Amino acid sequence: MMQSSTTLDQSFFDSSEEFALQLWQVTKSYDGTPPVHALSDVTISVKHGEFVGIVGASGSGKSTLLHVIGTLARPTSGSVFINGMNTDGMSDGALSGLRSQDVGFVFQEFFLISGLSAVQNVANGLLYSGVSEAERLRRSEIMLDKVGLAHRLTHMPNELSGGEQQRVAVARALVHEPSFVLADEPTGNLDSRSTESMMELFYSLNREGTTIIIITHDREVAERFPRQVLLKDGKIESDSALA
Amino acid sequence: MVKRPGVPTNSGPRSRLSIRDTLRTAATGPRSRKLRSALSALGITIGIAALVSVLGLSSSGSADLIRELDALGTNLLTVEAGQSFGSGNSSLPVDAPARIRRIDPVYEVAAVSKISGGVYRNDLIDEGRTQGLTIIAADLNLLDAQRGSISQGQYLTSALQDFPAVVLGAVAAERLGIVELSTARSIWLGDEWFVVVGILNPLPLAADLDRAAIIGYPAAERFLDYEYEPDIIYVRAYAEHVLNVRSVMSATVNPEKPEEVEVSRASDVLEARAATQSTFTNLFLGLGVVALLVGGIGIANVMVIAVIERRNEIGLRRALGATRFHIAMQFLTESFFLSAAGGLAGVMLGIAVTVGYAIIQDWAVVIPSYALIGGFGSSLIIGGLAGLYPSVRAASMSPTEALRTR
Repeated sequence: MMQSSTTLDQSFFDSSEEFALQLWQVTKSYDGTPPVHALSDVTISVKHGEFVGIVGASGSGKSTLLHVIGTLARPTSGSVFINGMNTDGMSDGALSGLRSQDVGFVFQEFFLISGLSAVQNVANGLLYSGVSEAERLRRSEIMLDKVGLAHRLTHMPNELSGGEQQRVAVARALVHEPSFVLADEPTGNLDSRSTESMMELFYSLNREGTTIIIITHDREVAERFPRQVLLKDGKIESDSALA
Repeated sequence: MVKRPGVPTNSGPRSRLSIRDTLRTAATGPRSRKLRSALSALGITIGIAALVSVLGLSSSGSADLIRELDALGTNLLTVEAGQSFGSGNSSLPVDAPARIRRIDPVYEVAAVSKISGGVYRNDLIDEGRTQGLTIIAADLNLLDAQRGSISQGQYLTSALQDFPAVVLGAVAAERLGIVELSTARSIWLGDEWFVVVGILNPLPLAADLDRAAIIGYPAAERFLDYEYEPDIIYVRAYAEHVLNVRSVMSATVNPEKPEEVEVSRASDVLEARAATQSTFTNLFLGLGVVALLVGGIGIANVMVIAVIERRNEIGLRRALGATRFHIAMQFLTESFFLSAAGGLAGVMLGIAVTVGYAIIQDWAVVIPSYALIGGFGSSLIIGGLAGLYPSVRAASMSPTEALRTR
């Protein structure tokens, strides 16, 4: 199953613009005694429109991989390409700009800002991309409608159920039309019914063309994903796309 | 959009946050924690209110003093006998008023003399109970020299000064219990009944006269067995020559022993009062500055706590594309909001205190603009300083660290 890195090399660079995300021989180590190798030699390519699940037990390097994919952390070595753009050596400000355009985060804990209404929280997804406030709100309303919360625009986060809060967070991740949505255990804090409808939402968004990368420890949830990447001890154990 | 892979690039999209959005974002924090924000701004409010009201009150007060000085004039000299060397008290020569009148820039000379004996409501009161009141014989132009005014009745006239008629100083009238003159009132001046013909308003330049029963020189000689000898001579000279007049006064009054003549300027006392007030003003200003610093530390404290509490929000905003600069500006602006709100409330409170006190004191309200602008400006400076460390700390937080929940 394991693909040798040399064969990947060619195809990897030749047609990079068709990929939403590419990781090339990424390693991430943390200083210490002994040093911790959270990721070693991770190579993944995600095409536009794909639905990928990255599955791993806790301690497998999942969180580190999430941070590296989302450009919140830099790899110790290797390269990360987002939408065909090499992020090597990018300044902190340039990476922030990249995130504001190309990455949509969904977190396990939702991270909605408590003082803002649902539509204002969604509009925060566009806050740092230079779009006017009126346009931000207009697009946010459309996006809330898309995730089925058209009737909850002005509700505050504490007036929403967990499932609804996570839908607001998904709308926030989508509102700036990123290259991919990066979801970290998006159903981790939801009951089984909400989990079911949340996954339905992801599938339907994917059918409409959104690239989705979900990181989870839940093999059961991941079983239905079109593509599964298995992470173990910081290495890719299997990738169903390469099978 | 085709990018050559493998080539690092910094020419990608940029994060942007307009000033309006920065302000809006910074306002979310304090808005959703109203009580805490209000309490943290309170220190600044108290400090600024103290500064503005102290400056306002001292300005209003000294404006009042200056008006009083203008009304009373600074050209009044008081001439009296000083301590003599050797034995006994010295006294002014009998012809001193006449000598002073010969000094050219002098236009008003009024002499008064203390007369032994007490002032009593009636002849039944024990002689020892003088209530601190004295009998004074005075020239007819005393009121002109003092720029004093009559509260009731009239002052002595050339006709009245030969008769047992008396004019009471403001304090003397009060102590004798004489508040109105609609019915004829007489008081007992030791040897004789005197009819009260008038009551004076207070004389700020000669407080001694407030406690006196004032009679004419002829009446003093006729009824109280007094022999003429001036004790104090009030002299008005043209303002531009006051100092010159003052310098020749002693030698003019008593050419043989000029050192026994004491000359003072009555308004100096009021000016000394103003100087004392400004010492107090400085003290209170110092207290206000201390309150302001404490308020600034309070805001810094609240901001540090906010940065720790809102770690996840910082991580989220970084994930949404905020740069370190955007995060720093958000918290710095938030700190500015707190201190500006506190400063604005402080300025208004300071104005209210000044206006309230000025109304009670019957002063015109004078609040210098530097107190208002400086008060508000210093609150902004304090806010900036207080927000500096917390905002740098928020900005330097790594996004992965900030997103951690456990």
